[in-house]
Amino acid sequence: MQPTSSMNEEFLKKWQMGLQIFRPSIDNTSVHERKKAIKLSADVAMASLRKGTTCWSRALIEKTATEDNFLVRQMLSGIKAEALINKKLPKKIVCHRKIVRRSKKILRRKSKSASEEAAAKAKRLVKRRTQGLRNVVPGGELMSNDVLLLQETLDYIVSLQTQVNVMRSIVDAAEAEIERTVCCSENAIVIRGWRDYSKPFCT
Amino acid sequence: MNGAIGGDLLLNCTDMSVLERQRAHLKYFNPSFDSPLAGFFADSSMINGGEMDGFLATAGLNLPMIYGETTVEVDPRMSIPLETTLGTGNFKKRKFDTVTKDCNEKKKMMNREEVTEGEEEEKSKITELNNGSPKSIKKMKIKAKKEENNCSNDSSKVTKELEKTDYIHVRARRGQATDSHSIAERVRREKISERMKFLQDLVPGCDKITGKAGMLDEIINYVQSLQRQIEFLSMKLAVVNPRPDFDMDDIFAKEVVSTPMTVVPSPEMVHSGYSHEMVNSGYSNEMVNSGYVHFNPMQQVETSSDPLSCFNNGQAPSMWDSHVQNLYGSLGV
Repeated sequence: MQPTSSMNEEFLKKWQMGLQIFRPSIDNTSVHERKKAIKLSADVAMASLRKGTTCWSRALIEKTATEDNFLVRQMLSGIKAEALINKKLPKKIVCHRKIVRRSKKILRRKSKSASEEAAAKAKRLVKRRTQGLRNVVPGGELMSNDVLLLQETLDYIVSLQTQVNVMRSIVDAAEAEIERTVCCSENAIVIRGWRDYSKPFCT
Repeated sequence: MNGAIGGDLLLNCTDMSVLERQRAHLKYFNPSFDSPLAGFFADSSMINGGEMDGFLATAGLNLPMIYGETTVEVDPRMSIPLETTLGTGNFKKRKFDTVTKDCNEKKKMMNREEVTEGEEEEKSKITELNNGSPKSIKKMKIKAKKEENNCSNDSSKVTKELEKTDYIHVRARRGQATDSHSIAERVRREKISERMKFLQDLVPGCDKITGKAGMLDEIINYVQSLQRQIEFLSMKLAVVNPRPDFDMDDIFAKEVVSTPMTVVPSPEMVHSGYSHEMVNSGYSNEMVNSGYVHFNPMQQVETSSDPLSCFNNGQAPSMWDSHVQNLYGSLGV
């Protein structure tokens, strides 16, 4: 399922709202500051679209709240913001490696056939990958079962795709804008140089 | 997938997966229910009920009750299944529409046939399920479905026996273990494989990969590449535009709103392209900044243009051009 244009619109509106918050502080001239502002507001916009129904959105909001509490509070309306920021997420699942290793050794003492070992290996691989997935998806460590994890991943991927689509189209629009405004200028040479570099990664 | 399911149903009813049969039972007992949504969220809610209840309660939120269904009365959910579930709800319903709607009628037929066979066998199974299941998930599932059935008894068209007990029985497949544990595990496995199928559709280039480990690998790579893309694009945006609120004019002048977009790059392409991008963007920052200072005043003047031009896609470019040229002239460049 691909992101629909209505999703794009909604995300865009929320993102705009977030960026408006930065309008007064125009003097954040550093590129990194701006990038951070853009990214954070985009993240919060994306997460707020889900209105607290998914685990990853809550985790993402909490993560951005630690970086920029003000932004989050402004972007999410009133009560919801307080509730979402302050409530506790389920505890992270901590595996005590020594205990796990010891128990695995005990299990391994039983003799295994070749096919069983292969199955065990496959299981281990899958487990390692799911752990990797938990690391990537925000709030992944808090999900205790695989079904939930996969569900959240699905939703997260769709949201990421919307974000990427919207951002890319804005970048394209902005670049086309620059191209038009610059074509007659003496600085065109500089800008064209930049555009040539940018061509390989403009799709 | 739909064709395969239909074919299977016609050929051999015992081949229906456990999960499908559960959902079909739900639908059968509650025909007024919007089964794709209910089926999906009923299942997911059962699993999430334990964890989610904790912080939903503490938050005191009135969230749309996707995950809190085990503890809420059934009626509100039945009457407003769709409006309250925005975002997630909508797209999940769409997905499951294609999967389950085609099979509903056939499943009903099959269910009636199944129901007329060994009733006692099923009753004993119920007790087995009831007593033997140590998992709280299973218990909640049964309880919740009991609630649903009680509430919807008026509307259901069920005429067969079974109603006395109001449990959803799951019949084990021929030649497989009838243990409640293994049934529950089979349900879980089927859910996982179902999710994996959807992920396969989402992630480009996953059709040829079979097996969980490979698929998970691809998914991880894809998510990481999307995240990196976002980082890069936000950096690029920061570079391209000195003002944080530029979006309005640019976007609405273009066709962003009207066209549905798809994400094009495959993971490999992004992998190879990305390191390239980062290097170049770092290099080009200085050049752009120096060349861009001249255009700041222009940008600021331009923000006064009409955002409503978004809807005049055809006219917008010419408007921009003339506007821009006027500014150029005024600046004396």
